Amino acid sequence: MVVNVKKLVKRYDDLIALDHLSFSVKEGEVFGLLGPNGSGKTTAINCILSLLKYDKGEIEIFNKPMSPTAYDIKRDIGIVMQNVAVYEELTVYENIDYFCGLYINDKILRKDYVEDAIKFVGLEDYKKFTPKKLSGGLLRRLNIACGIAHKPKLIILDEPTVAVDPQSRNKILEGIEEMNRQGATVIYTSHYMEEVEQICSRILIIDKGKAVATGTKEELKEMITLGEKITIEAYGVPEKSINSLRDLPNISSVEYKESILKIKALKGKNNLESVLEFIKNENIQFANIYSELPTLNDVFLEITGKELRD
Amino acid sequence: MFRHIFTYRLKSLLRDRTTIFWTIMFPIILAVFFHLALSNLGKADSFEPIDIAVIDNVQYREDQSFSMTLEEASKGEDRLFNLKVVSEDEAKKLLEDGAIKGYIEAGSSINLVIMESGLSQSIIKSFIDTYTQTVSAVKTIISSNPEKAQEVLNSIAHRENYIKEVSATASEPDVVLNFFYSLIAMACFYGGFLGLRVINDTQADISSLAARINVAPVHKIKTFIYSMSAALLIHIVETFTLLAFLRYVLNIDFGSKTGYVLLTTILGSVAGVFMGALISAMVKKSEAMKVAILLAVTMGGSFLAGMMVGEMKYIVAQNLPALSYINPINLLTDALYSLYYYDSLSRYFTNMAILAAYILIFGLGTHLIVRRRKYARL
Ligand SMILES: Nc1ncnc2c1ncn2[C@@H]1O[C@H](COP(=O)(O)OP(=O)(O)O)[C@@H](O)[C@H]1O
Ligand SMILES: [Mg+2]
Repeated sequence: MVVNVKKLVKRYDDLIALDHLSFSVKEGEVFGLLGPNGSGKTTAINCILSLLKYDKGEIEIFNKPMSPTAYDIKRDIGIVMQNVAVYEELTVYENIDYFCGLYINDKILRKDYVEDAIKFVGLEDYKKFTPKKLSGGLLRRLNIACGIAHKPKLIILDEPTVAVDPQSRNKILEGIEEMNRQGATVIYTSHYMEEVEQICSRILIIDKGKAVATGTKEELKEMITLGEKITIEAYGVPEKSINSLRDLPNISSVEYKESILKIKALKGKNNLESVLEFIKNENIQFANIYSELPTLNDVFLEITGKELRD
Repeated sequence: MFRHIFTYRLKSLLRDRTTIFWTIMFPIILAVFFHLALSNLGKADSFEPIDIAVIDNVQYREDQSFSMTLEEASKGEDRLFNLKVVSEDEAKKLLEDGAIKGYIEAGSSINLVIMESGLSQSIIKSFIDTYTQTVSAVKTIISSNPEKAQEVLNSIAHRENYIKEVSATASEPDVVLNFFYSLIAMACFYGGFLGLRVINDTQADISSLAARINVAPVHKIKTFIYSMSAALLIHIVETFTLLAFLRYVLNIDFGSKTGYVLLTTILGSVAGVFMGALISAMVKKSEAMKVAILLAVTMGGSFLAGMMVGEMKYIVAQNLPALSYINPINLLTDALYSLYYYDSLSRYFTNMAILAAYILIFGLGTHLIVRRRKYARL
């Protein structure tokens, strides 16, 4: 087990930020910590890193208890903080070299590592730039390079794509997958379900400091009753038809607003076909029709009763 | 690891313009400003002609060279005197009413009558002295070349000759020096800005940057000490630069105990940097609050040590003697002052002992906060 968190409790005065949170991360995983803002992701990460005092619980990394002086553990961890954490006065190269140098003493090896990191995040043309001159996306990439230049076995990224342009975001996500292919175990926190769905092999959904559900994205989607969402652009649907649509087997809910018919179906086969047949039989005029499988947002919605994105 | 952290901290601190401004540029600018303000006393253009009178008696009328010289000195744009030629009674009355600074009475010798002493009075006196001294030399020229003689006498009527000389001795030397000594003390404590930054980059509950360093496999206290060494080196070089600037550019006298002067600024720098560190560690998040406290302590201390108002130091020493010993900036100022003024080092050592106690308090306090490795909140 790369990381093992057992019954972690963290309070800020009266607020329980982490409520008996338990999870474990296996070697080679891209482990996603998914939860809305304020759900306790950063708090959990900072406890794991032994930065924060916590009230209860145990944390093991590489099967050893984690502590501020567990330098042998720390040596193999790379951390990308939620906030950009670089020296304003140092250049891109110097920043990466500084942080890498806290892990790697050998100067020649370090030079290679720093160059690798620069290439990895695509900052080759900006080596001599100070952070102030970098755009938001490039700054995030520098922040990542500073955290991973020493080629750690465990990489923890706390919302690395917040306020980043799509191009940088893709670059970052691809980079994480690449590091994982090269053997790193990754813990990735985000409140963007699309990202987590895209790159994470296993996901823990948390809300208000509690673990809500965990599993692969397929497993998570299996946990809920929702099978698919069917959206139809339909004109002048009478109330009577909507009611009979609701009565169809396997249909859990129907909404009709501004010529859009939204239908949620339970798990099962041929949901779309039966809905289509019904529409034709009722002589309802329609234009577009499409069907979606559930997303993690639906999982979150069904379990907690609220939207993941605020 | 020491080299790595130390050199990068040197780089990052040296490139931090705000910090460098406060720790070296500001004190130098202030020194130049003081210098200009204090030497302005001697600047011709800020000079107001002095109101004087001369008694209209026989001797005055007959001593043509003196009357011509005096009239020459009271003519034109840049005249030295506003001269009134009056009777003795009138002169006395004018002096009593404060309309003139003094009056001159020509007799067997030339006499000056004044009511109080001051810069203007010194200038009049100096003028008369110079005249009397020059006159004997001039007498030789008179016999050979009478026209040239009056030219020589007229030349002594130029004001620059007096004002410079007089103002140099008239303003109390200790007050002027004290301005600069307290400026050095202030500069030492502005090193707090460096200590403040070091702590900001050390404590994870202050900055994410520090959090990043805290999760690295390096001993926290060691990282702190290495960074602090860089800050101290920078600041000691800065204060030495300021000393050199004051000594060699502005010609400020530090007396002969150079070694002790350097030691004083080194200890002052250490105290300043650690004070900033302690403030930063205690205040935690609010950067504005840290800077406000640092500036308040330093500027307040400098004020009480006589940096803005020269007499302040003495006012405090007389009315609130304890404050002179509590105020670390006064300790430094007074240490430099006693090095210059006294042969015995006892007063100097008293100051330095208290300063050392301050360093101990600042350092220990900072250590107690920095050694904690886990935080209640970030
Ligand atoms: N330093 C702090 N002091 C008090 N409360 C905090 C602090 N940091 C976080 N919290 C609270 O703890 C909860 C979890 O916060 P956080 O871990 O930052 O969530 P996330 O990273 O998922 O957005 C939130 O309710 C937040 O308000
Ligand atoms: Mg967060």
